Amino acid sequence: MANDSLFSSYSLLPETWDEMYDDRSKIRSQYDIINDYLKATSPEKLYKKEELTRQLFMSQGVTFTVYSDEQGIEKIFPFDIIPRIITAKEWDKIDRGIKQRLKALNLFIKDIYHDQFIIKDGIIPADLIYSCPNFLREMMGVDVPHDVYVHIAGVDLIRNNDGEFYVLEDNLRTPSGVSYMLENREISKRIYPGILPKNEIRSVSDYPNVLYKKLSELSDQAEPNVVLLTPGIYNSAYYEHSTLARLMGIELVEGSDLLVKDHFVYMKTTNGLKRVDVIYRRVDDDYLDPLEFKAESTLGVAGIMAAYRKGHVNIVNAPGTGVADDKAIYVYVPDMIRYYLDEEPILKNIETYQLAKPEDFEFVTKNIRKMVIKKTDGSGGYGMLMGHEATEEEIEDYLKTVRENPTNFIAQPILRLSTAPCCIDGKLSPRCVDLRPFALTGRDGIDITPGGLTRVALKKGSLVVNSSQGGGSKDTWVIQ
Amino acid sequence: MLSRVANNLIWLDRYMERGNSIINLLKLNFTANQDSPELFPWAPIIKNYNDHDNDFTTEDPIECIEYMVFNTGHSNSIVNIVTRARENARSVQEHISRELWLNVNNYYLFLTDKTLPQQLQEGDPIMFLDRLKSFHLMYQGNTDLTQERGPSYYFMSVGKYLERVIQISDYTAIKLVEISKTTDRLEQTFYWKNLLLSLGGYQLYLKKHKSAFTEGHVITMVFQDKLFPRSVYYCINKLYMHIQKLIEIQELEKNNLEFLLGKLESTIKYTTIDSINEQGLENFIQEIKDDIRNISLSINTVYFSNANS
Repeated sequence: MANDSLFSSYSLLPETWDEMYDDRSKIRSQYDIINDYLKATSPEKLYKKEELTRQLFMSQGVTFTVYSDEQGIEKIFPFDIIPRIITAKEWDKIDRGIKQRLKALNLFIKDIYHDQFIIKDGIIPADLIYSCPNFLREMMGVDVPHDVYVHIAGVDLIRNNDGEFYVLEDNLRTPSGVSYMLENREISKRIYPGILPKNEIRSVSDYPNVLYKKLSELSDQAEPNVVLLTPGIYNSAYYEHSTLARLMGIELVEGSDLLVKDHFVYMKTTNGLKRVDVIYRRVDDDYLDPLEFKAESTLGVAGIMAAYRKGHVNIVNAPGTGVADDKAIYVYVPDMIRYYLDEEPILKNIETYQLAKPEDFEFVTKNIRKMVIKKTDGSGGYGMLMGHEATEEEIEDYLKTVRENPTNFIAQPILRLSTAPCCIDGKLSPRCVDLRPFALTGRDGIDITPGGLTRVALKKGSLVVNSSQGGGSKDTWVIQ
Repeated sequence: MLSRVANNLIWLDRYMERGNSIINLLKLNFTANQDSPELFPWAPIIKNYNDHDNDFTTEDPIECIEYMVFNTGHSNSIVNIVTRARENARSVQEHISRELWLNVNNYYLFLTDKTLPQQLQEGDPIMFLDRLKSFHLMYQGNTDLTQERGPSYYFMSVGKYLERVIQISDYTAIKLVEISKTTDRLEQTFYWKNLLLSLGGYQLYLKKHKSAFTEGHVITMVFQDKLFPRSVYYCINKLYMHIQKLIEIQELEKNNLEFLLGKLESTIKYTTIDSINEQGLENFIQEIKDDIRNISLSINTVYFSNANS
C-alpha cells in the first residue's frame, strides 16, 4: 500500500538547511533509498517498527538513568527510525576536516604541557590557558606514548543554512554516545532488512576492534592488560561502558578494583594482583586520583597519576586534554591549524564572542536575542542562555553572573541547525539534528568511523539535542 | 578474574536460585492450602523469608502471593530478588553470555510491568507463577547451553548450589516443626509428601518407594540421594566439585574451604538413618546449616582477603 500521507505535512523551516529536501522541495538523491521504502510501507507497519525499536532497546538494557529527587529512572534514549543519510562527498570533507583538527589539537596539547611555543609566539594569550579549569599543572613536562593525548574524540558538527558543516565542540575528554552509534545500526538492520547492503551503506561495526587495537598498541608489553575504568553501575553512561568492554573482550573495572603498588597499577583478582597496562577511563580528570585531584573521590585510584608519570601505565585519554576543548580555547582552533600545520581549516568554527573583551560584550548584549551564551567549561547543554526564548529577567540575571567573571563565558549566534525528517505521530516532520562522528587516534594515525551519532531535538522548534534534555538519536548512513 | 566480579557472579546465581525456590514453594502451597489450610498455612513461609523486623502475615492466598512477589518493602520478594540479580548481571555483562543477560533483563522488565499485578488478581495464580518460573528454567537452560565452562561458570555454580542447600535445609526445618506438632501418622505423611513435592522429588520417591511415606525413606532421599538434583548430598557434591575446579585453575587459593566441604560431604554420605534419629533430625539439619554458614563465610574471605590485599 502506498503511503503518501506520510509526507503530507512536511513543512520546511525558513532559512534552514534540510537534509532531505533541497530549497525547491525536491528530494535530494541520497534520500531516495529511504523514500522508496517508506512510500511502500503502510503507517501501521511503520508504527510496528517504532514499537519494535522501543522493545529492543529495553530488552537489551540499552538504557540510561536519569536522577531526579534522588530516584533513578531508567530511560531509553529515544530513537527515530528514519536514518540520516550523508553522501560520500560530504563524508570525505568531514573526515579530512576532523583529522586535520585533531592533528592540530594533539600538537597543541603537547605544546601547552611542554615548551608552550604557541604562547611565546603570541597566538594564544597565556592567561587564557592558566585560567582554564581543565588545564592540569600535573601534566607539565610529562611525555606520553607516541605523543598522542586525545585517543578518542567525538567532535560535534552542525550544518548551517549555507549547507556547510561547522564544528560546535571538540569533546576531547571522555565523549560518550558511541554505543548508540553501534546499537542504532543493529536496530536498522532489523527494521530495514536488506536495505543496508543493497545501498552499500558503510559499516560501523569495526569500531570496538579499532579501539582495542589502538589501546593495546600504547603498551610495550607483548600481551597488555587493557581495562575500561567506569565510575560504576549508577553512572548514566554505564550501559556504554559495559558494552564497549564486552565488545572488546576487556575487563570493566571500578576504582575500588584497582590499586597502586610501587608505582604500578594492579587489579584485585581472585588469583591475587594482576598488573594493568592500559586504562581507558570514563572517569573525569578531577576524580582520577584522590592524591592529586579531588581528595574525596572514591571513583579513582590513589597514586595512579604518579604511576602514569613514570610511564608504568597508560591513561586514555591523557589527563589534561580538557584544556583543548574549553569553549574559550575553541576560538583559537583555526589559528592552531594554521600555526602547527600551516594549512587552512577544512571545517569552519562557529563565530564566537569572548565576553571578557569589552567590544564583544557590548555587541553580544546589543544582539542578545540572537545569541546563545555558554559557560566555557560547561557541557551537556546545561548553564546556557538561549537569547531568543529567555525572559528579560532571566537575561538580566544571567548577565549579572557573566559580569562577575566574564572570562568564563562565550557567546555564539543562535544557529540554524539543519533539519532531518523524523517520524512523529505517524508523519514525517523536520527536526533539528547535529552529528557526532567518533575519531580514534593511535600510533598509526587517525581513524574515523563512517557515520557517527546523529542527535535530534525531538521537540518541535527545539535546538537542544542533549539526551538529558529531550533529545533523541538516529542511525547515520554514509553512502559508499 | 576480578574479586568483585567473582562476588557478583556468585550472587547472581544465588538470587536466581532463591527466586526459583520461592516460586516453587508458593505454587505448591497454593494447591496444598486449598485442600487443608490448617495443615499448610501461609504464615511459616512468609516468616521464613521476612526480614527480622517485619511481622507481616496473611492467610489469604492471593494476598500472600502478591506480597511474596511484588512487595518492594520485603527484601526477599521476587521483584527485589530479581532486581538484585539483574544488578549483579549488569555489572558482569562481559563475563556472562549475552543470552543470560537478556534473560535476566527481560525477567526484570516482565516483573516491573505495571499491568502484571492485575494479572495475578484476575487470572489463574498457578499460570501466573508458571510464567515466572519459566524465566528461571530459561536461565538454567541458557547457563547450560551458552556459558563456557570456565571461572565464571564455576563461580555461578558455587552460588547456585550454596543457595540450594540453604533453601532445602531451611524448608526441611520448617516442615519438621510442623511434623513435631502432631502425633497423627496420616497427618505426618501429608507433611512428608508436601516436603517432597516442594523439592520436586515426589515422582522420584514414588518410583523408588511407591506410595508409602516413611520418615526414613524421605530423609534418605532429601539428604543422601546421589542422583536427585535437589538432595543435600547432590548439592554439596556439586559445590565441592566446582570449588575444586576453581582451585585447579588457580582462581581460588587452597584454604580450609576444601577441607570443610570434604568433611561435610563425608558426614552426609556416611551418616546412617539410625544415627540421624539418635541425634535428632533437627540437630542434624542445624549442623549442616552451621557447616554451610562456615563454608559461605570462607568463600567470602577468599575474595575479600584478596580485595583488601
